Amino acid sequence: MTRNAVASLGFDQDAAMVTFPIELFLADSDLGPVASAADQFVSGLTTWQSAVTETGVKPAPALRIEAPDESAVLRRVNDLFLAERWGDGLPLYPPTEDLVAWILTGTDFAPNHVIGRVMPRGGIATVKAVAATLAMAGGRPEYLALLIAAVEAILDPAMEHEKFQANSGSPFPVVVVNGPMAETIGLNSGFGLLGPDPDHPAGASIGRAIRLILQNIGGALPGDGTMAAYGAMRFTNAVFAEDEAGLPGGWPTLAAEIGNFGAGSNAVTVFCASGSVNIPRRAISPDVLEDEIMNGLHRTAGYLRVPGRDYVTGWANGTPGALLISRTVAGQLAGLGWTKDAVRAFLWEHSKIVADEVERTGLTEWIRSSSEAATAAAPTDPWPICRTPEQILLAVAGGAHPTNHLWFQGEAPAVVTREIRLPQN
Amino acid sequence: MHQLEFLDPRGATEITQLHATRLAALDGRKIGLLSNDMWQAHRALPLVGDWLTAHFPEATVIPETAFPRGNNLIDSDATADALAAQAVDAVVIGNAA
Repeated sequence: MTRNAVASLGFDQDAAMVTFPIELFLADSDLGPVASAADQFVSGLTTWQSAVTETGVKPAPALRIEAPDESAVLRRVNDLFLAERWGDGLPLYPPTEDLVAWILTGTDFAPNHVIGRVMPRGGIATVKAVAATLAMAGGRPEYLALLIAAVEAILDPAMEHEKFQANSGSPFPVVVVNGPMAETIGLNSGFGLLGPDPDHPAGASIGRAIRLILQNIGGALPGDGTMAAYGAMRFTNAVFAEDEAGLPGGWPTLAAEIGNFGAGSNAVTVFCASGSVNIPRRAISPDVLEDEIMNGLHRTAGYLRVPGRDYVTGWANGTPGALLISRTVAGQLAGLGWTKDAVRAFLWEHSKIVADEVERTGLTEWIRSSSEAATAAAPTDPWPICRTPEQILLAVAGGAHPTNHLWFQGEAPAVVTREIRLPQN
Repeated sequence: MHQLEFLDPRGATEITQLHATRLAALDGRKIGLLSNDMWQAHRALPLVGDWLTAHFPEATVIPETAFPRGNNLIDSDATADALAAQAVDAVVIGNAA
């Protein structure tokens, strides 16, 4: 963790450290080992030396594998990926120059265009490096422009990706796509949108590439570059399209609300989530639609009403999360006069956490210690899960069915949109 | 034999800063303690400070309470300015877990 942290500041991936087992860092721990290791503090201040003595770019070397036949080569490549901790447990394509050149036909960006540095390791995400990762993940050229836009959004300073990368709460980027390119490339917006879906493979491939970029270029390896305790939905991340055809009249797209993108624009909206939960919102056999709608909204607000520290992260300027509503339910809501703003206002009001709950769960300390002045001064009697209702993201997506919503619980200091720039030809 | 050449998936890195030269000795030097206020730093750092003071009486240890504390504050310009104002020669930072 510390090695990656110093690398993110431009140092070599090394530092003078004194390390202890995790038990020492817990409440009421035995601190005896600190004194036992005191000499190491002294040597760190006096005799420790980094192995690196020069600044400059360290290019990634080309790799070569030899084997008796083609299938053996592929096995050895994948063995190498796992041995070097570059894989994810499933077979990967070797990113040969030919394969990467094919992927690069999906963008007009120059291969050496630098998108940014991926923390905590600080690796340089060039367009070529991103294309190579997409190639490994089984991607296609038409996915590349979306992946580049997603990486741009993830590396936006407001996203604080250096924090979510290292976070023990296992946050992961959620990428929602608007625009006609979603259908063109086979991105799911309906049944099973989080996959796996052989009819819509783009999301899995792009999401897998994002994970590999964060792991390999960014160094977020389990228990090393990232302290993600459980991992969660990080294998293929969450890359899907909003069901624009299912939006009721007067309900704007997510990209329009967050980034002012007009109809027909291709854009990604990205935020970080620490988990997701399915919300069964339907009644068993309702006679009155209004009653079912109100039951469902109250039940949904109940799922949002948790004393989570994660909400503190996005309280002032980010989001507490995103609610996915199917076109079926969105149509019912709109038919009864509910706008997106009205739904958000209801959820915001009914997800407030009473003062007793804020206090006994220790949430008060997290709120008051926030570096955001607005967050630290937030009202706690009751505590709204975000500063304003508009911060709750609402997207129409998922199978055309009335039973469920999906809630992505955010750990998101910001929500970032980016245009997807398709190649001219 | 079949051969296959491919790219290293980690991409390039750039080193822009070198680690500071270490001190020749601690005597006569000022050692600052910086706390992220997590993972029992409030208990561990004073122990480190006490040990350094006991074993290097010619060194000056400036406790973590003299500087901004907390994960959100110790990487700020204000903290760097505070360290410079105290003319510290080296810093011990804790705790990461």
